[in-house]
Amino acid sequence: MSSPLLDRVRGIAADVLEVPITQVTPDSSPETLETWDSVHHLNLVLALEQEFNLQFEPEEIDQLDNVGEIVTVISRKQNVAS
Amino acid sequence: MGIALQPYTEDRTPAVMAFNERLAQGGCPPEFRFPESPTPHWLPKREGLPLFQEYYLATENDFVRGGFILKYQDFAICGQNHRVVYYHLPLSEGIVNRAYATTGALMLRGALKMQPMLFALGMGGFDNPLPTMLKAMGWSLFAVPFYFRVNHPARFLQNIAALRSSFSRIVLSNMAAATGTGWVGIKVAQWMRSVSSVRDIAIEPVNSFGRWADELWRTCAPVYAMIGSRESSVLNCLYPPGVNFLAIKVLRSSQAVGWAVLLDTQMHDNKYFGNLRVGTLVDCLAVPENAPAVIQAACDFLTRRGVDLIICNHSQAAWGKAFRSSGFFSGPSNFIFAASEPLAQQLDPISGWQNEIFFMRGDGDGPVNL
Repeated sequence: MSSPLLDRVRGIAADVLEVPITQVTPDSSPETLETWDSVHHLNLVLALEQEFNLQFEPEEIDQLDNVGEIVTVISRKQNVAS
Repeated sequence: MGIALQPYTEDRTPAVMAFNERLAQGGCPPEFRFPESPTPHWLPKREGLPLFQEYYLATENDFVRGGFILKYQDFAICGQNHRVVYYHLPLSEGIVNRAYATTGALMLRGALKMQPMLFALGMGGFDNPLPTMLKAMGWSLFAVPFYFRVNHPARFLQNIAALRSSFSRIVLSNMAAATGTGWVGIKVAQWMRSVSSVRDIAIEPVNSFGRWADELWRTCAPVYAMIGSRESSVLNCLYPPGVNFLAIKVLRSSQAVGWAVLLDTQMHDNKYFGNLRVGTLVDCLAVPENAPAVIQAACDFLTRRGVDLIICNHSQAAWGKAFRSSGFFSGPSNFIFAASEPLAQQLDPISGWQNEIFFMRGDGDGPVNL
Protein backbone atom coordinates (compact mmCIF):
# COMPACT_ATOMS: atom_id res chain seq x y z
CA MET A 1 0.00 0.00 0.00
CA SER A 2 1.51 3.35 -0.98
CA SER A 3 -0.30 6.62 -1.35
CA PRO A 4 -0.27 10.25 -0.26
CA LEU A 5 -3.09 9.41 2.15
CA LEU A 6 -1.09 6.63 3.75
CA ASP A 7 1.89 8.94 4.12
CA ARG A 8 -0.25 11.60 5.82
CA VAL A 9 -1.71 9.03 8.19
CA ARG A 10 1.74 7.62 8.97
CA GLY A 11 2.98 11.11 9.75
CA ILE A 12 0.11 11.81 12.13
CA ALA A 13 0.46 8.44 13.81
CA ALA A 14 4.20 8.91 14.26
CA ASP A 15 3.61 12.32 15.78
CA VAL A 16 0.82 11.26 18.16
CA LEU A 17 2.42 7.96 19.14
CA GLU A 18 5.86 9.58 19.44
CA VAL A 19 7.66 7.03 17.31
CA PRO A 20 9.92 7.45 14.24
CA ILE A 21 7.86 7.44 11.07
CA THR A 22 9.97 4.56 9.79
CA GLN A 23 8.36 2.40 12.50
CA VAL A 24 4.85 3.16 11.24
CA THR A 25 3.69 0.75 8.55
CA PRO A 26 0.25 -0.25 7.28
CA ASP A 27 0.34 -3.18 9.71
CA SER A 28 1.20 -1.04 12.73
CA SER A 29 -1.36 -1.48 15.51
CA PRO A 30 -1.68 -1.24 19.31
CA GLU A 31 -0.19 -4.72 19.42
CA THR A 32 2.99 -3.70 17.57
CA LEU A 33 3.62 -0.17 18.78
CA GLU A 34 4.30 0.09 22.51
CA THR A 35 2.93 3.61 22.90
CA TRP A 36 -0.39 2.87 21.15
CA ASP A 37 -2.60 2.51 24.24
CA SER A 38 -6.18 3.65 24.88
CA VAL A 39 -5.23 7.24 25.62
CA HIS A 40 -3.00 7.53 22.57
CA HIS A 41 -5.64 5.89 20.42
CA LEU A 42 -8.11 8.62 21.37
CA ASN A 43 -5.48 11.28 20.66
CA LEU A 44 -4.86 9.65 17.28
CA VAL A 45 -8.58 9.68 16.48
CA LEU A 46 -8.84 13.36 17.38
CA ALA A 47 -5.74 14.26 15.37
CA LEU A 48 -7.05 12.41 12.31
CA GLU A 49 -10.42 14.15 12.61
CA GLN A 50 -8.73 17.52 12.73
CA GLU A 51 -6.36 16.76 9.86
CA PHE A 52 -9.03 15.40 7.54
CA ASN A 53 -11.92 17.56 8.75
CA LEU A 54 -14.21 14.66 9.52
CA GLN A 55 -15.76 12.92 12.50
CA PHE A 56 -15.67 9.20 13.14
CA GLU A 57 -18.79 7.41 14.36
CA PRO A 58 -18.28 5.27 17.49
CA GLU A 59 -18.34 2.04 15.47
CA GLU A 60 -15.75 3.48 13.05
CA ILE A 61 -13.39 4.22 15.96
CA ASP A 62 -13.29 0.50 16.60
CA GLN A 63 -12.27 -0.14 12.99
CA LEU A 64 -9.23 2.12 13.30
CA ASP A 65 -7.17 -0.69 14.80
CA ASN A 66 -4.22 -0.53 12.43
CA VAL A 67 -2.74 2.08 10.12
CA GLY A 68 -3.93 0.34 6.97
CA GLU A 69 -7.51 0.19 8.25
CA ILE A 70 -7.32 3.85 9.21
CA VAL A 71 -6.46 4.69 5.61
CA THR A 72 -9.34 2.52 4.37
CA VAL A 73 -11.90 4.16 6.66
CA ILE A 74 -10.75 7.69 5.86
CA SER A 75 -10.73 6.95 2.14
CA ARG A 76 -14.28 5.58 2.37
CA LYS A 77 -15.50 8.62 4.28
CA GLN A 78 -13.87 11.00 1.83
CA ASN A 79 -15.45 9.19 -1.12
CA VAL A 80 -18.87 9.36 0.53
CA ALA A 81 -18.39 13.05 1.25
CA SER A 82 -17.53 13.80 -2.35
CA MET B 1 -13.03 -5.81 14.93
CA GLY B 2 -16.79 -5.20 15.01
CA ILE B 3 -17.52 -3.95 18.53
CA ALA B 4 -21.03 -2.67 19.18
CA LEU B 5 -22.54 -0.82 22.13
CA GLN B 6 -25.76 -2.18 23.58
CA PRO B 7 -27.71 -2.19 26.84
CA TYR B 8 -26.71 -4.93 29.27
CA THR B 9 -29.27 -7.74 29.10
CA GLU B 10 -29.51 -10.85 31.27
CA ASP B 11 -28.18 -13.17 28.54
CA ARG B 12 -24.89 -11.28 28.59
CA THR B 13 -24.16 -12.02 32.25
CA PRO B 14 -21.88 -15.04 31.61
CA ALA B 15 -19.90 -12.96 29.11
CA VAL B 16 -19.57 -10.14 31.65
CA MET B 17 -18.29 -12.63 34.23
CA ALA B 18 -15.74 -13.92 31.71
CA PHE B 19 -14.71 -10.32 30.94
CA ASN B 20 -14.15 -9.66 34.65
CA GLU B 21 -12.12 -12.84 34.92
CA ARG B 22 -9.86 -11.68 32.07
CA LEU B 23 -9.43 -8.31 33.82
CA ALA B 24 -8.48 -10.12 37.04
CA GLN B 25 -6.03 -12.41 35.29
CA GLY B 26 -4.51 -9.38 33.57
CA GLY B 27 -3.74 -7.87 36.99
CA CYS B 28 -6.51 -5.29 37.10
CA PRO B 29 -7.21 -4.02 40.66
CA PRO B 30 -10.32 -5.60 42.22
CA GLU B 31 -12.34 -2.36 42.14
CA PHE B 32 -12.22 -2.50 38.32
CA ARG B 33 -14.90 -5.10 37.70
CA PHE B 34 -18.18 -4.61 35.87
CA PRO B 35 -21.40 -5.46 37.72
CA GLU B 36 -22.45 -9.05 37.06
CA SER B 37 -26.15 -8.33 36.83
CA PRO B 38 -28.03 -6.19 34.31
CA THR B 39 -30.13 -4.69 37.11
CA PRO B 40 -28.20 -2.11 39.12
CA HIS B 41 -28.07 -2.83 42.83
CA TRP B 42 -28.00 0.94 43.44
CA LEU B 43 -30.61 3.11 41.73
CA PRO B 44 -32.21 0.60 39.37
CA LYS B 45 -34.73 2.04 36.91
CA ARG B 46 -38.18 1.83 38.47
CA GLU B 47 -41.50 3.46 37.67
CA GLY B 48 -41.81 6.82 39.37
CA LEU B 49 -38.25 7.04 40.65
CA PRO B 50 -36.56 10.32 39.76
CA LEU B 51 -33.07 9.00 39.13
CA PHE B 52 -31.69 5.71 37.91
CA GLN B 53 -28.70 3.94 36.41
CA GLU B 54 -28.34 1.90 33.24
CA TYR B 55 -25.53 -0.41 32.22
CA TYR B 56 -24.10 -0.60 28.70
CA LEU B 57 -21.74 -3.15 27.18
CA ALA B 58 -19.22 -3.10 24.35
CA THR B 59 -19.75 -6.48 22.71
CA GLU B 60 -17.87 -8.37 20.03
CA ASN B 61 -20.14 -11.20 18.95
CA ASP B 62 -20.59 -13.34 22.07
CA PHE B 63 -17.83 -11.60 23.99
CA VAL B 64 -17.98 -8.55 26.23
CA ARG B 65 -14.99 -6.25 25.66
CA GLY B 66 -16.05 -3.36 27.87
CA GLY B 67 -18.84 -1.56 29.68
CA PHE B 68 -19.88 1.69 31.28
CA ILE B 69 -22.62 3.02 33.51
CA LEU B 70 -24.86 6.03 32.99
CA LYS B 71 -26.72 7.60 35.91
CA TYR B 72 -29.62 9.77 34.81
CA GLN B 73 -30.82 12.60 37.02
CA ASP B 74 -32.25 16.09 36.91
CA PHE B 75 -30.13 19.14 37.55
CA ALA B 76 -31.01 22.77 37.98
CA ILE B 77 -28.79 24.85 35.70
CA CYS B 78 -29.39 28.51 36.46
CA GLY B 79 -32.71 27.46 37.92
CA GLN B 80 -33.85 25.61 34.78
CA ASN B 81 -34.36 21.86 34.87
CA HIS B 82 -32.09 19.73 32.69
CA ARG B 83 -31.48 15.99 32.48
CA VAL B 84 -27.72 15.50 32.89
CA VAL B 85 -26.03 12.12 32.90
CA TYR B 86 -23.10 10.85 34.94
CA TYR B 87 -20.64 8.65 33.02
CA HIS B 88 -18.79 6.23 35.24
CA LEU B 89 -16.97 2.94 35.60
CA PRO B 90 -15.86 2.73 31.96
CA LEU B 91 -13.94 -0.54 31.71
CA SER B 92 -12.27 -1.77 28.56
CA GLU B 93 -10.46 -5.00 27.75
CA GLY B 94 -7.79 -2.66 26.41
CA ILE B 95 -6.64 -2.31 30.03
CA VAL B 96 -5.22 -5.85 29.87
CA ASN B 97 -5.11 -6.62 26.13
CA ARG B 98 -3.61 -4.12 23.72
CA ALA B 99 -5.64 -5.55 20.86
CA TYR B 100 -8.62 -3.72 22.41
CA ALA B 101 -6.99 -0.33 22.87
CA THR B 102 -9.70 1.13 20.62
CA THR B 103 -12.57 0.19 22.92
CA GLY B 104 -12.19 3.00 25.46
CA ALA B 105 -12.51 5.73 22.84
CA LEU B 106 -15.43 3.90 21.21
CA MET B 107 -17.31 3.77 24.54
CA LEU B 108 -16.69 7.42 25.30
CA ARG B 109 -17.84 8.55 21.88
CA GLY B 110 -20.81 6.21 22.05
CA ALA B 111 -21.90 7.54 25.45
CA LEU B 112 -21.62 11.12 24.18
CA LYS B 113 -23.69 10.29 21.15
CA MET B 114 -26.39 8.80 23.41
CA GLN B 115 -26.29 11.61 25.98
CA PRO B 116 -24.38 14.78 25.04
CA MET B 117 -24.92 16.40 28.46
CA LEU B 118 -22.48 14.23 30.38
CA PHE B 119 -20.30 14.72 33.41
CA ALA B 120 -17.74 12.60 35.21
CA LEU B 121 -16.73 12.86 38.87
CA GLY B 122 -13.99 11.44 41.07
CA MET B 123 -11.49 9.60 38.88
CA GLY B 124 -8.61 9.69 41.37
CA GLY B 125 -6.64 12.57 39.87
CA PHE B 126 -5.87 14.37 36.62
CA ASP B 127 -3.15 11.98 35.49
CA ASN B 128 -5.32 8.86 35.28
CA PRO B 129 -6.37 7.56 31.84
CA LEU B 130 -10.02 8.61 31.96
CA PRO B 131 -9.49 12.30 32.86
CA THR B 132 -6.64 12.39 30.33
CA MET B 133 -9.01 11.17 27.63
CA LEU B 134 -11.77 13.53 28.69
CA LYS B 135 -9.43 16.48 28.53
CA ALA B 136 -8.33 15.42 25.04
CA MET B 137 -12.02 15.32 24.04
CA GLY B 138 -12.43 18.97 25.03
CA TRP B 139 -14.16 18.39 28.36
CA SER B 140 -13.70 21.00 31.10
CA LEU B 141 -11.97 19.57 34.17
CA PHE B 142 -11.18 20.88 37.62
CA ALA B 143 -10.53 19.47 41.08
CA VAL B 144 -13.40 19.77 43.57
CA PRO B 145 -11.76 21.37 46.63
CA PHE B 146 -11.12 19.18 49.68
CA TYR B 147 -11.50 20.51 53.22
CA PHE B 148 -10.65 18.91 56.53
CA ARG B 149 -10.92 19.79 60.20
CA VAL B 150 -8.93 18.05 62.89
CA ASN B 151 -10.70 17.18 66.13
CA HIS B 152 -7.95 15.10 67.71
CA PRO B 153 -4.61 16.54 66.60
CA ALA B 154 -2.35 13.97 68.28
CA ARG B 155 -4.13 11.01 66.66
CA PHE B 156 -4.31 12.90 63.38
CA LEU B 157 -0.60 13.65 63.29
CA GLN B 158 0.27 10.12 64.37
CA ASN B 159 -1.84 8.51 61.63
CA ILE B 160 -1.18 10.91 58.78
CA ALA B 161 2.58 11.04 59.31
CA ALA B 162 2.78 7.26 59.38
CA LEU B 163 1.24 6.98 55.93
CA ARG B 164 4.20 8.63 54.19
CA SER B 165 2.14 9.04 51.07
CA SER B 166 2.25 12.02 48.77
CA PHE B 167 -1.21 12.95 50.09
CA SER B 168 0.00 12.94 53.70
CA ARG B 169 3.16 14.88 52.83
CA ILE B 170 1.16 17.65 51.20
CA VAL B 171 -1.35 17.76 54.06
CA LEU B 172 1.37 17.99 56.69
CA SER B 173 3.35 20.49 54.69
CA ASN B 174 0.32 22.74 54.23
CA MET B 175 -0.55 22.51 57.88
CA ALA B 176 3.01 23.19 59.04
CA ALA B 177 3.02 26.29 56.90
CA ALA B 178 -0.27 27.41 58.40
CA THR B 179 0.11 26.35 62.00
CA GLY B 180 3.69 25.86 63.08
CA THR B 181 4.30 22.49 64.64
CA GLY B 182 2.32 20.02 66.64
CA TRP B 183 -1.13 19.73 67.96
CA VAL B 184 -1.13 23.02 69.81
CA GLY B 185 -0.46 24.74 66.51
CA ILE B 186 -3.39 22.92 64.89
CA LYS B 187 -5.74 23.78 67.73
CA VAL B 188 -4.75 27.43 67.70
CA ALA B 189 -4.96 27.69 63.94
CA GLN B 190 -8.42 26.14 63.85
CA TRP B 191 -9.63 28.41 66.63
CA MET B 192 -8.30 31.42 64.77
CA ARG B 193 -9.93 30.26 61.54
CA SER B 194 -13.30 29.89 63.21
CA VAL B 195 -14.26 33.48 62.62
CA SER B 196 -17.51 33.34 64.43
CA SER B 197 -19.66 30.68 66.00
CA VAL B 198 -23.14 30.49 64.59
CA ARG B 199 -25.71 30.90 67.29
CA ASP B 200 -29.33 29.96 67.66
CA ILE B 201 -29.26 26.82 65.57
CA ALA B 202 -30.80 23.50 66.45
CA ILE B 203 -30.02 20.08 65.03
CA GLU B 204 -32.69 17.45 64.44
CA PRO B 205 -31.68 13.97 63.23
CA VAL B 206 -34.07 12.78 60.53
CA ASN B 207 -34.80 9.39 58.96
CA SER B 208 -36.28 10.76 55.78
CA PHE B 209 -36.77 13.93 53.79
CA GLY B 210 -40.21 15.48 53.41
CA ARG B 211 -41.95 18.64 52.35
CA TRP B 212 -39.51 20.75 54.34
CA ALA B 213 -36.71 19.49 52.09
CA ASP B 214 -38.72 20.33 48.97
CA GLU B 215 -39.25 23.88 50.21
CA LEU B 216 -35.52 24.23 50.80
CA TRP B 217 -34.82 22.87 47.33
CA ARG B 218 -37.15 25.41 45.72
CA THR B 219 -35.32 28.20 47.54
CA CYS B 220 -31.82 26.93 46.77
CA ALA B 221 -32.10 25.63 43.19
CA PRO B 222 -31.98 29.05 41.48
CA VAL B 223 -29.04 30.22 43.58
CA TYR B 224 -26.40 27.84 42.23
CA ALA B 225 -25.12 27.68 38.64
CA MET B 226 -25.63 23.92 38.53
CA ILE B 227 -26.86 21.60 41.24
CA GLY B 228 -28.24 18.06 41.20
CA SER B 229 -31.86 17.84 42.23
CA ARG B 230 -32.16 17.59 45.99
CA GLU B 231 -35.90 17.19 46.15
CA SER B 232 -37.14 14.88 48.88
CA SER B 233 -37.91 12.07 46.41
CA VAL B 234 -34.30 12.12 45.21
CA LEU B 235 -32.83 12.33 48.71
CA ASN B 236 -34.95 9.45 49.97
CA CYS B 237 -33.57 7.36 47.06
CA LEU B 238 -29.97 8.35 47.69
CA TYR B 239 -30.02 8.24 51.49
CA PRO B 240 -32.58 5.67 52.60
CA PRO B 241 -32.91 4.85 56.30
CA GLY B 242 -31.17 1.76 57.60
CA VAL B 243 -27.94 2.42 55.72
CA ASN B 244 -24.87 4.14 57.20
CA PHE B 245 -25.98 7.68 56.45
CA LEU B 246 -26.73 10.12 59.28
CA ALA B 247 -29.09 12.87 58.18
CA ILE B 248 -29.69 16.05 60.15
CA LYS B 249 -32.04 18.96 59.69
CA VAL B 250 -30.63 22.34 60.72
CA LEU B 251 -33.12 24.79 62.19
CA ARG B 252 -33.09 28.40 63.21
CA SER B 253 -36.15 29.74 65.05
CA SER B 254 -37.85 26.43 64.29
CA GLN B 255 -37.41 26.97 60.56
CA ALA B 256 -35.37 24.52 58.48
CA VAL B 257 -32.46 26.46 57.03
CA GLY B 258 -30.55 23.47 55.71
CA TRP B 259 -29.71 19.82 56.05
CA ALA B 260 -26.66 17.60 55.94
CA VAL B 261 -25.97 13.94 55.28
CA LEU B 262 -22.99 12.59 57.17
CA LEU B 263 -20.92 9.48 57.61
CA ASP B 264 -19.00 8.38 60.70
CA THR B 265 -16.46 5.75 59.65
CA GLN B 266 -13.73 3.99 61.58
CA MET B 267 -10.93 3.53 59.04
CA HIS B 268 -8.62 0.52 59.11
CA ASP B 269 -5.22 0.87 57.44
CA ASN B 270 -6.73 3.30 54.98
CA LYS B 271 -4.18 4.66 52.54
CA TYR B 272 -5.28 8.25 53.18
CA PHE B 273 -6.51 8.19 56.79
CA GLY B 274 -4.78 5.27 58.47
CA ASN B 275 -6.84 4.22 61.49
CA LEU B 276 -8.59 7.51 62.11
CA ARG B 277 -12.30 7.77 62.80
CA VAL B 278 -13.42 10.00 59.95
CA GLY B 279 -16.58 12.06 59.77
CA THR B 280 -17.63 13.03 56.25
CA LEU B 281 -19.99 15.75 55.17
CA VAL B 282 -21.33 13.78 52.21
CA ASP B 283 -24.09 16.10 51.08
CA CYS B 284 -25.89 19.17 52.26
CA LEU B 285 -28.07 22.05 51.16
CA ALA B 286 -28.69 25.63 52.22
CA VAL B 287 -28.48 29.04 50.65
CA PRO B 288 -24.89 30.36 50.88
CA GLU B 289 -25.71 32.68 53.78
CA ASN B 290 -26.68 29.64 55.87
CA ALA B 291 -23.65 27.54 54.89
CA PRO B 292 -21.84 28.38 58.17
CA ALA B 293 -24.86 27.19 60.15
CA VAL B 294 -25.04 23.86 58.32
CA ILE B 295 -21.29 23.31 58.56
CA GLN B 296 -21.25 24.09 62.27
CA ALA B 297 -24.24 21.83 62.89
CA ALA B 298 -22.55 18.99 61.02
CA CYS B 299 -19.30 19.50 62.91
CA ASP B 300 -21.05 19.65 66.29
CA PHE B 301 -22.97 16.47 65.51
CA LEU B 302 -19.90 14.55 64.33
CA THR B 303 -17.69 15.88 67.12
CA ARG B 304 -20.16 14.68 69.76
CA ARG B 305 -19.93 11.23 68.15
CA GLY B 306 -16.16 11.29 68.69
CA VAL B 307 -14.68 11.51 65.18
CA ASP B 308 -11.00 12.37 64.88
CA LEU B 309 -11.27 14.23 61.59
CA ILE B 310 -14.05 15.82 59.54
CA ILE B 311 -13.71 15.96 55.75
CA CYS B 312 -15.66 17.30 52.82
CA ASN B 313 -15.32 17.98 49.10
CA HIS B 314 -17.31 20.98 47.91
CA SER B 315 -17.06 22.85 44.64
CA GLN B 316 -18.95 26.05 45.41
CA ALA B 317 -16.94 29.12 46.40
CA ALA B 318 -19.22 30.52 49.13
CA TRP B 319 -19.27 27.13 50.82
CA GLY B 320 -15.49 26.98 50.56
CA LYS B 321 -15.26 30.31 52.33
CA ALA B 322 -17.65 29.01 54.98
CA PHE B 323 -15.54 25.88 55.51
CA ARG B 324 -12.39 27.94 55.97
CA SER B 325 -14.08 30.26 58.44
CA SER B 326 -15.33 27.20 60.32
CA GLY B 327 -11.84 25.96 61.12
CA PHE B 328 -11.27 23.78 58.05
CA PHE B 329 -7.99 23.51 56.18
CA SER B 330 -7.71 22.92 52.43
CA GLY B 331 -6.04 19.71 51.34
CA PRO B 332 -4.99 18.10 48.05
CA SER B 333 -7.94 16.89 46.00
CA ASN B 334 -8.07 14.00 43.56
CA PHE B 335 -11.85 14.37 43.22
CA ILE B 336 -12.15 15.67 39.69
CA PHE B 337 -15.25 17.13 38.03
CA ALA B 338 -15.42 16.95 34.23
CA ALA B 339 -18.14 18.44 32.00
CA SER B 340 -18.68 17.43 28.38
CA GLU B 341 -18.51 20.23 25.81
CA PRO B 342 -22.33 20.51 25.42
CA LEU B 343 -22.69 20.73 29.21
CA ALA B 344 -19.90 23.28 29.55
CA GLN B 345 -21.54 25.34 26.79
CA GLN B 346 -24.70 25.54 28.94
CA LEU B 347 -22.58 26.89 31.78
CA ASP B 348 -20.18 29.14 29.86
CA PRO B 349 -22.43 32.20 29.98
CA ILE B 350 -21.84 32.21 33.76
CA SER B 351 -18.55 33.89 34.52
CA GLY B 352 -16.39 31.65 36.70
CA TRP B 353 -18.96 28.85 36.66
CA GLN B 354 -16.42 26.37 38.01
CA ASN B 355 -16.72 28.15 41.38
CA GLU B 356 -20.50 28.37 41.29
CA ILE B 357 -21.57 24.78 40.64
CA PHE B 358 -22.53 22.62 43.59
CA PHE B 359 -20.89 19.20 43.69
CA MET B 360 -20.01 17.08 46.71
CA ARG B 361 -19.12 13.45 47.48
CA GLY B 362 -22.82 12.55 47.47
CA ASP B 363 -23.01 13.40 43.78
CA GLY B 364 -21.80 10.94 41.16
CA ASP B 365 -21.52 7.38 42.45
CA GLY B 366 -21.84 8.43 46.07
CA PRO B 367 -19.32 8.40 48.92
CA VAL B 368 -17.52 5.19 48.00
CA ASN B 369 -14.50 4.29 50.15
CA LEU B 370 -15.83 6.44 52.96
